[in-house]
Amino acid sequence: MENILEIRNLSVSFASDGVRERAVAVNGVDIDIPRGKTVGLVGESGCGKSVTSLSVMGLLAANGRVEGGSAMFGGQDLLKLNDRQMRQIRGNRISMIFQEPMTSLNPVIPVGKQVAEALRLHTGADAKAAKVRTVEIFGKVGIPEPEKRYGCYPHQLSGGLRQRVMIGMAMILKPDLLIADEPTTALDVSIEAQILRLMRDLQRESGTSILMITHNLGVVAELCDSVYVMYAGEVVETAEVHALFDACAHPYTRGLMASLPRMTPKGQRLYNIPGTVPNLRAMPAGCRFAPRCAFAVERCQNEKPPLITVGDGHCCRCFTPLSRGAAPGGEPL
Amino acid sequence: MAKHIVKRVLITIPVLIGMVLVIFFMLNVVPGDPVTVMMREHVKEDLIGRLRQSMHLDDPFFVRFFRYIWDALHGDLGISWKLNRPVTALIAGAFPCTLKLAVASSLFSWIMGIPVGIVSAVKKNSLIDHLSMGISLFGVSMPVFWVALILQNTFKNVLPVSGIESWRSYILPTVVLGWSSAGRIARLTRSNLLEVLRNDYIRTARSKGLSPFSVITRHALKNALIPVVTMMAIQISSLLSGAAITESVFAIPGVGSLAVSAIKNRDMPLLQGTVIFTAILIIGGNLVADVLYSVIDPRIRVE
Repeated sequence: MENILEIRNLSVSFASDGVRERAVAVNGVDIDIPRGKTVGLVGESGCGKSVTSLSVMGLLAANGRVEGGSAMFGGQDLLKLNDRQMRQIRGNRISMIFQEPMTSLNPVIPVGKQVAEALRLHTGADAKAAKVRTVEIFGKVGIPEPEKRYGCYPHQLSGGLRQRVMIGMAMILKPDLLIADEPTTALDVSIEAQILRLMRDLQRESGTSILMITHNLGVVAELCDSVYVMYAGEVVETAEVHALFDACAHPYTRGLMASLPRMTPKGQRLYNIPGTVPNLRAMPAGCRFAPRCAFAVERCQNEKPPLITVGDGHCCRCFTPLSRGAAPGGEPL
Repeated sequence: MAKHIVKRVLITIPVLIGMVLVIFFMLNVVPGDPVTVMMREHVKEDLIGRLRQSMHLDDPFFVRFFRYIWDALHGDLGISWKLNRPVTALIAGAFPCTLKLAVASSLFSWIMGIPVGIVSAVKKNSLIDHLSMGISLFGVSMPVFWVALILQNTFKNVLPVSGIESWRSYILPTVVLGWSSAGRIARLTRSNLLEVLRNDYIRTARSKGLSPFSVITRHALKNALIPVVTMMAIQISSLLSGAAITESVFAIPGVGSLAVSAIKNRDMPLLQGTVIFTAILIIGGNLVADVLYSVIDPRIRVE
């Protein structure tokens, strides 16, 4: 299948005050996003999933720097484009939705204007035509009374409505790729389901590919076709969504799944992965997950595992990939 | 919106009355007899008595206070003891000079302060940032009389340094007053803009494909300038009430100079008049700032 975006060997580092050495937040990441599909990017906070997406968009903070790799999008390497070329793509062919609908909209500009702005910028539409299109997309993303909401300020809308505005803004130009950075994390569960359904419907209609960044495996199961699991700046496992939920191979992925709260007898402790994410400046020499891994053997401490194929389109960065049914700590799930 | 403004205006009435009471009381307890101020020495006792009576100086405090309020409401702030002219006329005569100076120095401070603040924020930690923030800090920290004297001395051969001859006489006092205001505005603009630029909605604006220039002008400035605009409104009101020190140093016959001369001459009605005039302008400035705030920030707008 044709890929709309191919990220190869992407590495990103950050400088911080008073430290000479740059912290490597993303290290040699490969991601493929097929046209019209939804790809999940899963991992804990700080694993580099947002940094990966921001570097593709050219929106890294001033202290961040792409160290190497490529991101091929429609025959162009996004990482090599200058700012002017990148601006042609941003908001037009690749757009983004962010985690915080509360703070992602400008508080002193009416929401309709903020959406129309993207349209006018890339299509040169006049104010009147842009307004008509904006009201239309507001209706499409399920904003009641779209005409009236056009002139509303963000503080007059609920979180769910604001996220719908953000989705409208991102989808108004029918981009090839939508990067959604935890779009439902700040919303309550009933709204979350509505927003996910909305994204899926819009995708079906426009054929947009989605890169869904989340730490919520439920969202992945709901929406994604394939998944990349990231840990400490590296992809540790990738698979079709069914293959992953059926039989994940990396102990970290297994730990993530076991961490989902479920109906357990009262008093039984919730599972969590022991230990913490390693410091970016003090990565373990071998496998980055080894210090927290229940299955680690001596080899894991000293040698870096490569990404190996464990099944059809299923890859895992582990010397001893789990077989079906194994659970962290050796107990069956 | 209109209701909000009316409410704010009504609140200022008790503030004004309280303020006049305080000023009136303070100037009453200050030692010194007005009649001896007005008269030369060796004046006949009965003349002094007659004068005291005609000025109602022997009436009880509150009688005099309410008479003053009543007269003030009719536009009469009394007669200057020293100059023997109505205080309102004196203030009205001095105000044009003060107004010109206030408008000029405010414009100067806006035109200098806001762009300098923006450039400093955008080029944070660059040479131009350090340089302009240094000059701003200098303007804010140096006493105006000192800056005024140094400028007078430096430019004495190029520009008029005393009195009002032509528009050129306003240049130096404008710079003296505008420099410190510009410094404050530049520093506030810079710090607000830096804070705003860290917000999520700036990232959203960039993700739409807007150029850095549009991101600043369309998205960041509108947020960053909200506190700056209110500061400008308060600043201009205090400038309108007369910059006593600057006007004195440059011998500009404005409201500030009038107040200074009233203090020197113990001219109570005149001093009272200028202080009340100042206070009204400051209260008015705050009112304007408040209303402006709710006009430009939709979050505060009253539904």
